Amino acid sequence: MMLWRMLARLLRNLGWGILLVPVAAMSVALYGLTVWTAGAVVLAATVALWRPLVAARVLPPTMVWAGIAGLVAAARTPGSPVNWVIKAVQVPMKVAYLPVMPRQMPLKALILSKAAVSPAGPPPGPRGVTYILQTPGRIQIYFSPKAMAGAIGQAARPPGEVAQRVFVKGAVVVPGPRQVLAKIHASYVGVKGGPPPGPGAFRGAAVKFSAGPPWTIHGAPVAGFWHGRLLVPVALLLLTLGLWLTPRSLAGLRGRAAALAPDVRRWMLENRWGVLLVPVALLGLSIFGVHPWTVAAVLAALVVLVRWPKVAADLVPITLAVFAVRGFQLASDWQSMAPAFQGPPGPGVQYAAVLVNGPGPALLAGAEASVFLAFGAWLVPRTIGAHARTVFTPGTDVELAGRVQRLTESRSHAVDAATSELRRIERDLHDGAQARLVALGMNLRAVERVLPANARAAKALVAEARETSVRALNELRDLIRGICPPVLADRGLGHAVRALALDTPLPTELDIDLPGRLSAPVESACYFAIAEALANAVKHSGARRVQIRVKHAANTLRIEVADDGVGGADPARGTGLQGVERRLGPFDGILAVSSPPGGPTMIVMEVPCVLSSPKTSSY
Amino acid sequence: MRVVVAEDLFLLRDGLTRLLTAHDFEIAAAVDNAPALLCALLEQRPDVAVVDVRLPPAFADDGLQAALTARREVPGLPVLLLSQYVEQLYARELLADQAGAVGYLLKDRVFNDDQFVDAIRTVAGGGTVMDSEVVTKLLGRRSRDEPVSRLSVREREVLALMAEGRSNVAIAQRLFISEKAVSKHTTSIFTKLGLAASEDDNRRVLAVLAYLNS
Repeated sequence: MMLWRMLARLLRNLGWGILLVPVAAMSVALYGLTVWTAGAVVLAATVALWRPLVAARVLPPTMVWAGIAGLVAAARTPGSPVNWVIKAVQVPMKVAYLPVMPRQMPLKALILSKAAVSPAGPPPGPRGVTYILQTPGRIQIYFSPKAMAGAIGQAARPPGEVAQRVFVKGAVVVPGPRQVLAKIHASYVGVKGGPPPGPGAFRGAAVKFSAGPPWTIHGAPVAGFWHGRLLVPVALLLLTLGLWLTPRSLAGLRGRAAALAPDVRRWMLENRWGVLLVPVALLGLSIFGVHPWTVAAVLAALVVLVRWPKVAADLVPITLAVFAVRGFQLASDWQSMAPAFQGPPGPGVQYAAVLVNGPGPALLAGAEASVFLAFGAWLVPRTIGAHARTVFTPGTDVELAGRVQRLTESRSHAVDAATSELRRIERDLHDGAQARLVALGMNLRAVERVLPANARAAKALVAEARETSVRALNELRDLIRGICPPVLADRGLGHAVRALALDTPLPTELDIDLPGRLSAPVESACYFAIAEALANAVKHSGARRVQIRVKHAANTLRIEVADDGVGGADPARGTGLQGVERRLGPFDGILAVSSPPGGPTMIVMEVPCVLSSPKTSSY
Repeated sequence: MRVVVAEDLFLLRDGLTRLLTAHDFEIAAAVDNAPALLCALLEQRPDVAVVDVRLPPAFADDGLQAALTARREVPGLPVLLLSQYVEQLYARELLADQAGAVGYLLKDRVFNDDQFVDAIRTVAGGGTVMDSEVVTKLLGRRSRDEPVSRLSVREREVLALMAEGRSNVAIAQRLFISEKAVSKHTTSIFTKLGLAASEDDNRRVLAVLAYLNS
């Protein structure tokens, strides 16, 4: 029961996003358990647990995707309705045999798909043949398992051995948008001492072509639970649900996009390399063809760009490198076959801007690949390199962390200071003025009592009451001066520092350039900071004169308090200078103390702040 | 004697008015803000004005500014400033024109009405009255200086009272010494400080204050 409740709560918290996991698990059922499918499930689970909202948003498009994938899988699964439909529309297969290769021909030859081959007896074959078959349809290659075992890698024939039969050993199917490029490595099985085959006695590997529709499905049929009929209704359900939910799940995103509109330009500029990932992914369509996985890559590029623009930027050079590898591979394949290339060019393979159907275009593809590689290499220091630098060097992030640390400290100091200041005021009022007012009231009451009888005593009491009120006033005055010095409130920092200098028993030289007023908190902090520095100079330095400079320039207030005393002031030891530092901290102010033993002492404070326009007097 | 009173707190304004009326002053105007004070000073031309330093509209040193403005228009217009605090900076500004007829006192001094009324009369008569707190600070600041440190304790007491604006008679009464002794001290002080002696009380006070303020 408990477990059930916990589970229910977990589900409620996770929301619909958790459905992402079973939908992703469908990929395992469709494509088998591979690194990719397992990775997809793990990714789905991670997103569902860590970002349930994101998972819920991603779910509908994923359902559409799974639905399409299911239908695609059904298409190639015998017994499923989709497969049946495809079978029905497919052009019946034509069986074609490889053409007879004359003995004089080089070992490599190129055969076009439409070449008519005779189904008659085995032709005399060469020792090893690489056939490139180009066909607009689907290609099916049949070969015997025995031949496969015997023929792999046999290029050199021991002398005296006679080739009897040639088998095709394998096929690599490279799908293009509308054509199939198959590499067939054929070799022979020789029989020692047998009769040499005469012309026409040798038959090439049996290769069957079928000219299917262009949307023919590649891949293995789905087995097991998904086999057959169940797959189609599930896929259709997912597709319909996904299509119905997708606009709803994207509605919120649209709102966010609209809110972002003014910032989009700035964002694009900031993440210009990451933005590049989408066109690069689209370029991938022209290189690897339009397949479920290339389209998925484009969508993934979009997602990565939106969620992790920095990662997107890092992926651009990597993707370009992959493209380059593919280009170099194509070029090298064609170059190795160039000597044997004959006949008209076939449909070819698209590589970005070039249709590769011969050694010439293959060279161009290689050039394209070089450009991709060069651009990728140029991007590396701007993307991966730059991000690595931010991570591994003390840069802006570290600075930011330091600033956060300082702000946290100064904030807590400021709160502490404000609290203790309030306590002090409360205590002073309580013990001082308040107590004196009580005494005053008691005195007056006493006067009331003695007045008719003893005028003399009453007079004494009244005098005492007056004294008490004077003392209460004095205390209030000192208290107020400690909270906010009157001249500071009246006229601002410049005059307040002048007044401070007048109250200082040391000759004080002033240089104040402050053509306006600062905000009250900054003014107050700076005033008390200067007062503290001045008090230090008077009390500890034994100085004969003090110099105070106050200057506001470039949105920074710079205060210098210098004396010709004995020096040796250390902010780490005295609480006074620490107090100054704490006062300035909340305003991002800094304190620098230069006070070598023997003097002189120079205290510099800098506070970033703006100056308001000078107060205009009406008189 | 016609007085203008400027004080924004009603209770205090009322109290001052009654106190002054009781001592045979005629209240020419009792105002509660600086612009009104300036008008009253320039139109009524009172014999003396009793002004609170902090006044509306800005609640800063508006009273002081209005008084200084009025004294620029009418040099020597007698003004006695009252404040909850005394600032040397403001005292210095009041004394800057060397015209006399100024006073600067803590509000507490009103409690001793005889002394307060004396101070008003001194200011009205062109004299200078400084709060003892101002004088103490001035002396404190100069105490390390060579000439002031050569003064005897008694001479410093006399100097302080002189700076507050008291006459020889008042100083003698205060220190329980003869008037003659006071003038002897005064001469000695002036010699030690290197000031030109003057028989005129007002000039003497101004000289002392100017010396201490320099």
